[in-house]
Amino acid sequence: MINRRQVIRQAAFVAAVVLLCGGVLLAQERRITDGPTRFFETNIRPHLVKHCYGCHSGKSGKIRGGLRLDTKLGTLRGGNSGPAVVPNTLDKSLLWSAINYEDFEMPPNRKLPANVIADFRNWIEMGAPDPRVGDSVEVRSTVSTADIEEGRKFWSFQPLKVETPVFTGSGAPQRESWPTSKIDLYILANQIENGLTPAGDAEPNAVLRRLSMDLVGLPPTPEAIVSFTRNWQRDRQKAVSDAADSLLKSKRFGERWGRHWLDVARYAESSGKEQNLTYPHAWRYRDYVIDSFNEDKPYNRFVQEQIAGDLLPVKTDEQWAENLVATGFLAIGTKTLVEQNQRQFRMDLIDEQIDATTRVFLGLSVACARCHDHKFDAIPQADYYALAGIFESTKTYYGTHRTQQNRNPGPLLHLPVDDNAEKNITPRQLAALEEQLVQKRRELRSVQQEVRKIRSSGSSPGGDAKSVIGKAIRMRKEVGILEIRVDSYNERGEAYSYCMATQAVDRPTNSTLLVRGDIDQPAKEVPRAFPQILSNRPTRIAHDSSGRLELARWMTRDCSPLVARVMVNRVWLHLFGEGLIRTPEDLGMSGEPPSHPRLLDYLAARFIENGWSVKKLIREIVSSRVYRIDSKYDAEKFLVDPENKYLWRHSPRRLDAEVIRDSILAVSGQLEVRRPRASLIAEVGPASVRNGILITTTGGDGPQMGRMNSQRDRFPQGGRRRQGRRFQQNGRRQGQRGEQNERLQRGGVNRQRAGNMRQAQAGTQRSAIEQNAESAHYRSVYLPVIRDYPPRALDLFDFAESSMVVGKRNSSNTPDQGLFFLNNPFVIEQCDAMAHRLINEKRQLRDQIARAFLLAYGRQATPKELSAAIKFMRGFDVGTRSGQFRDNADTDVLRRLSALCQSIIAAAEFRYSN
Amino acid sequence: MVPNTLSRRESLKAVSSGIGYLAFCSLANTARRSEAAHASGATGSPLAPKPPHFEPKAKRVIFLCMRGGPSHLDTFDYKPRLLRDHGKSSKYQGALLKSPWQFKQRGKSGLWISDLFPQVGVMADELCLIRSMKTDQPIHPRAMTQLHTGNAQFVRPSLGAWSLYGLGSENNSMPGFVSFNPPAGTAQNYGSSFLPAIYQGTRLNHASTGSSGGRRRGRGSGQTIPDITNSRLTSRQQRQQLDLIQTLNREKLDRDKEQPGVEGAIESFELAFRMQDELPRIMDLAGEDQRTLDLYGIGADETDDFGRQCLLARRMSEAGVRFVEITHRDWDTHFNMTTALPKLCQQIDKPIAGLLQDLKRRDMLKDTLVIWAGEFGRTPYGQNSDGRDHNNKGYTTWMAGGGVKGGFSYGATDEHGYEAVENVCHIHDWHATILHLLGLNHERLTFRYAGRDFRLTDVHGTVAKDIIA
Repeated sequence: MINRRQVIRQAAFVAAVVLLCGGVLLAQERRITDGPTRFFETNIRPHLVKHCYGCHSGKSGKIRGGLRLDTKLGTLRGGNSGPAVVPNTLDKSLLWSAINYEDFEMPPNRKLPANVIADFRNWIEMGAPDPRVGDSVEVRSTVSTADIEEGRKFWSFQPLKVETPVFTGSGAPQRESWPTSKIDLYILANQIENGLTPAGDAEPNAVLRRLSMDLVGLPPTPEAIVSFTRNWQRDRQKAVSDAADSLLKSKRFGERWGRHWLDVARYAESSGKEQNLTYPHAWRYRDYVIDSFNEDKPYNRFVQEQIAGDLLPVKTDEQWAENLVATGFLAIGTKTLVEQNQRQFRMDLIDEQIDATTRVFLGLSVACARCHDHKFDAIPQADYYALAGIFESTKTYYGTHRTQQNRNPGPLLHLPVDDNAEKNITPRQLAALEEQLVQKRRELRSVQQEVRKIRSSGSSPGGDAKSVIGKAIRMRKEVGILEIRVDSYNERGEAYSYCMATQAVDRPTNSTLLVRGDIDQPAKEVPRAFPQILSNRPTRIAHDSSGRLELARWMTRDCSPLVARVMVNRVWLHLFGEGLIRTPEDLGMSGEPPSHPRLLDYLAARFIENGWSVKKLIREIVSSRVYRIDSKYDAEKFLVDPENKYLWRHSPRRLDAEVIRDSILAVSGQLEVRRPRASLIAEVGPASVRNGILITTTGGDGPQMGRMNSQRDRFPQGGRRRQGRRFQQNGRRQGQRGEQNERLQRGGVNRQRAGNMRQAQAGTQRSAIEQNAESAHYRSVYLPVIRDYPPRALDLFDFAESSMVVGKRNSSNTPDQGLFFLNNPFVIEQCDAMAHRLINEKRQLRDQIARAFLLAYGRQATPKELSAAIKFMRGFDVGTRSGQFRDNADTDVLRRLSALCQSIIAAAEFRYSN
Repeated sequence: MVPNTLSRRESLKAVSSGIGYLAFCSLANTARRSEAAHASGATGSPLAPKPPHFEPKAKRVIFLCMRGGPSHLDTFDYKPRLLRDHGKSSKYQGALLKSPWQFKQRGKSGLWISDLFPQVGVMADELCLIRSMKTDQPIHPRAMTQLHTGNAQFVRPSLGAWSLYGLGSENNSMPGFVSFNPPAGTAQNYGSSFLPAIYQGTRLNHASTGSSGGRRRGRGSGQTIPDITNSRLTSRQQRQQLDLIQTLNREKLDRDKEQPGVEGAIESFELAFRMQDELPRIMDLAGEDQRTLDLYGIGADETDDFGRQCLLARRMSEAGVRFVEITHRDWDTHFNMTTALPKLCQQIDKPIAGLLQDLKRRDMLKDTLVIWAGEFGRTPYGQNSDGRDHNNKGYTTWMAGGGVKGGFSYGATDEHGYEAVENVCHIHDWHATILHLLGLNHERLTFRYAGRDFRLTDVHGTVAKDIIA
């Protein structure tokens, strides 16, 4: 679609051509023979110096609009608005339109004479030859070739060395009896060396709970416990392997381990930062990750797809689509959309990509070399810009709609195969949307005119000025959202499937080293390449290739020892609470050395040997003896190794946020295991986030918003109905929720609420997202992830900060968590459901209590616990604050039982794994 | 005096007093824990008070955050030259614009403060003006982030989180860092980033009357933070329930012997339980007498909103909360300055003066550091005929109490107030100074993350020693 402005520009361009034709011909005749450099020196440079350098050069100290015309690079790169000169391409050269007074009017005081303009035209058309080099800054690296050579010797960059464990001292009896796998030999050798011995096996129910929480993130069912215990008594090794196999087969596995990956991939569904706009199609990457883990995609393939999926050869469109979605990895990071300087925005985006790529896959932070040579590892600044060139030759499709503050909106990529995940609308609805867009655009134009009037009047515009400007900002946003929505459907109203992804640019370029990372201080151009510390051979990247595919292949081939070590360490971390290297994102000089270097290399080698299968790796680890040892405290061993570095016991761990929430739903019997359709954010579509509220347009009956009506609607088939009676209160909550969903449905109400935020108490208005998260019963990995506003139930329990690469989460213990268990409506509702479940499943109180413990903790209640629970049930006075609910005895029992369930869920054991 | 340094055991005792498990804990664990603590170098609860690096001047901070970039040229930075050169084209960009308001010397110290702050002017002898502020960012959100975290590009812990990390909390029934009404999208400005989550600010939203209504609502609101009240159970019932929870926790601790997580849960449950009473109690202004309410301008249309925030800040500070931040907004006066600024100043003038007076009469001002700051200042040249543009090169913030010199002016901008030229106080220096007043050396207050020791001040920061009394 050509907009009005382009039309105008083209018209002006034609006019200019007509006017100047005669002169140009003459000029060419005269000067071509002089040679391009001479032409520049005599016909171009003097005018640049005289008319442009005053505001656009390093010497004058003024670089207006980020544009400097005193270097070749600055001229080609341009300023905030884009390249000043695109060789051979007049209509893309802003300098050309500016000197013709088409958009900018430069020089501002007087237009250049026609013959000079003709010279510029000629110059650009001959490819803008420009001999000006060498006036850029020389940056001397502090990292010498010898440093790099030395740096390569660091352990993590070495090839894998598989060595058998070495036992020091005389034969410990455990050496014969304890190990059941090679892993155990490494562990035991290390323990003996440090005067430690492993704890005995844990109780079978504890082993199964551990296994279940670790592999699928859900507690084992009482039935599974019974059967596992029986198997355990026959053959422990086999019982564990079998249980692991069946858990690995479950679809729940990908949801658990996919989430681990989403932590490091800094997955979120909004841009974060000051102008926080939704990424309505980010969820495809989430599902891609989950599916990849479920199908046990070879990890090297998984890596390649995320870095260069768009460039990998494919046989089918489906495969292509999947690969494109994979590159969402590069697109979903935070964006500083308010950034006014486009070049700055671009360099920040590239920096974010380099940071994520190197830390996630290589366990190295290269990004600190953006401004200076790496302090610890031998990574000179030039290496950063060598990588930057690869990403600079990449176009990132991250979307976001245009708003007043979003100065960097971008497109999305239409998938080659539509996956029909988003809902269609009728052609009529589409027509209505289009009509709305036309109308809003018209309104916007008139408001903008008013604004211009106010601005140009110069006088004090009175109290209305602010509201007019505010209106213009709102209108801009509405138009931006409508544009995106109209673009979401084909002419039949069928939703296109978009993804966040990357593509190679037509003409790959090298990047330029920036002094102190400052975009206004370019130094030398750096050829695209990989960090020298990781590559002995010179990089081969064809001049017409961005180098991204080469990077992906190089990483999984030449760097495979490092890449495998990083991943093996992550897997170990998720199974033991700490990695073999305790700094999962830093395997460089400043990282911690591995506690078991030989084991690490053994596992990395096995990993590669087994075709980079994550499932096989996990299976091997959990089938080891050390995985199933007890977590019991031992004073003597504790003194020797308080951090449990040598794994003399299994470290007790706080469960991850998702596991806590999913476990609550599992024990209450309310967990919906089916994958919900797309994501809440996909349904809302383009929106900005304020105070955790998604703000869309005021247009009330838009088809997009209409879809948020019911929870059930979010599943491919009708949702499951809940069973059992409801408490009166519960029923009321249901009613409330319906009402809130109504509100959620009508964007208009949200808007208004947001507008009232100043007066209102946000604390009493729980956000729309929050309400949705509370009423959802599907697995936590599918809850919407808005940057800065993660669902409370997850946020409270150290959900990964989605603006950063998080290899290891925090494990905090805050009073907010206590308040959550004591008072949160979701918790209370689930405890009610659990009480129902107990009554349905068992008749006697004693059995009900026993069942509650079994469900929640995966074990029998101790006699003391049982008696405390019975005492509680007898002594708990169910009279409520207002004295109601005395209506029948059944309700009393339910309320008591619900309060008991809440105590059991609130107690620490529920959220710990031993 | 050096703050009370409770031991691990003492803090546990304090936290859990009132329930019966303590005796059990001590019997079961005393011997073991002291060994363990010794062996692992454990210092106990992450919120327990910690000794500062050196004798502190201030024990707590109240940060009055002015969002939008208040004009220093019309409030606290008196520039006679600007008055004289009014209308002349400047070397910066556009014609100079004098302040439409008169400046007067205030208090014994004779600090120049404009007529926009008559009440704050009365407290001039408590103020320490820093007239040479400088920050790197000229746009609002980034400058705001730098003001809070020192770094506009990356997500970093906020000043409040660092303070709490350095000093711990003094009230075991309250969170140690509270931020009132933080604007949308600024979570990182009170976040803990890579610091443990427990140091992040607790976001509170107070019951305001709204700027237009002027109605006097209830003096407090129970619903201050999510899940603060139970919709169903009475306090007695909840205590019964909590007793069962703690019985189960003790059972687990008994079986596991060493389990910091369970111990932590026991502590935080008790804190949570107490917060249910304590937090609404602190948020409830019913106990304040009319004189105090009037002091803060509570009840008057213009000042009610910010007055409440100021009074709540005092109540929090009094209760031992380490760092309280409150926010006032709309200082972005690109135009209509002559009507907008007086309104904005009026909204905060009396409340702030009231806060300072109230702190003083309670003898709290001496060790409570009150900070007033926006993300940047404004230009001496005009914009839209009646406004000023953003200016990050020179502006004014002030501090009061907490060991700073009262009636003192530090640093200076150039003759027109455009650029800080004397004793330049970059935001890193400002942070270093605040930490210093709290008894913390900004170079020693570090946290290891991603293989590096991070500081609030990165590799910068010089303490402005001249402002310390």
